[in-house]
Amino acid sequence: MTALDAVSVYTPAFRVPLEDLADPLGLTDIQVRLFRRFHGLDQVRFDPDRSPAELLRAAVEGLAELRGQEHRVRYVIHGRAMPVVVPYPHNPLHDVCRELGLGHALAFTVTQQSCASGLLAVELAGRLLARDPDDALALVLTGEKAFTRHARLIPGTSLFGEGASACLVSANGPRDRMLSFVCAQRGEFDGEFGDREEEFQRQYRPSLAEVINRAVADAGLTLDDIRLVLPHNVNVVTWQRLCSLMDFPVQRVLLSNVPDHGHLFCTDAFANYRTARERDLLREGDHYLVATVGAGAGATFSAMVFQH
Amino acid sequence: MTAPDAQVDSALRERVVEAMTTVLKRLVEREEPITEDMQMADELGVSSSLGLELLLEVEEQLGIQIDVERMRPDELLTVGELATFIAGHSRPW
Repeated sequence: MTALDAVSVYTPAFRVPLEDLADPLGLTDIQVRLFRRFHGLDQVRFDPDRSPAELLRAAVEGLAELRGQEHRVRYVIHGRAMPVVVPYPHNPLHDVCRELGLGHALAFTVTQQSCASGLLAVELAGRLLARDPDDALALVLTGEKAFTRHARLIPGTSLFGEGASACLVSANGPRDRMLSFVCAQRGEFDGEFGDREEEFQRQYRPSLAEVINRAVADAGLTLDDIRLVLPHNVNVVTWQRLCSLMDFPVQRVLLSNVPDHGHLFCTDAFANYRTARERDLLREGDHYLVATVGAGAGATFSAMVFQH
Repeated sequence: MTAPDAQVDSALRERVVEAMTTVLKRLVEREEPITEDMQMADELGVSSSLGLELLLEVEEQLGIQIDVERMRPDELLTVGELATFIAGHSRPW
């Protein structure tokens, strides 16, 4: 059973208050007030001095459990939202692998599910490892730069920040075991088929609720069994309304990183996991759910259930 | 989740309707009157993001804070239904 053996997260110390983003992002006064009042955003993390490779390296360097185990790592998978982040022939993932003694591993990037690609990478790692010897590991990385207006803002919805994570995955680890994974890919929301934004907004919460319910059922559980939800940090109001729709207490959704980080692309799930661990919100045996939505070329709704 | 009428302050609801119709006219650029029975999305073209802008402006005009956590937008289809919810689920700030 796929398991998370260790998770490390790097979030930059440099914080930009919401109001300071108004000019560079072309936000009106009312857009700023809406973000603060309903979306629960307050500040966004950036690291202007670090390149994409340096962001990834910062996350891996925090993963003490990797040291001395590099030879066991067979796959390094970068889950990323943006299809292109550096010009050809640069490859930050391969640079990081070489520098950290992981040059032997099969390294590749998945971006097909946008912000849901981090969960896809974990699931893929588990599937690949299932055919390998028991001691084989995979390293899942997330992290990218919010370097254009398009990459920093979803109008009326969210603001992106920068951060990175490194997650050691095994096929049979004892710690955080994946009980289920449900993913709904919705090609009809691709912008190439016309402006589907309004319909996407309308179906966003019901679609996310559906994959969450399916993931919980596939794990042999009910929503009452879920101790904690680790959300994507899109905004607060979306999760408040989703919880209302699902009759799930919003107090069991870890939303405290939304005002502090902004939406960190594929990194939210791992950052929220670290926060849950640091605050001792998960006890041995607890079930928790990770959920996210990737929107780009089409949309992906994903949910994973783990047992801690 | 619309509050039962008995729990709604009718004077507040009246002020909410007045504020909502004024703001909505500007947001959807409509000259004609807006009435309580009108469907927000289907008739007035109010999107979810425009809906939040409406709530923010109503809050600021009336000096109230709306309990959005308890709001189920799919069940608040008309201007009147949303006004009833706001009047029943808000507090002065």
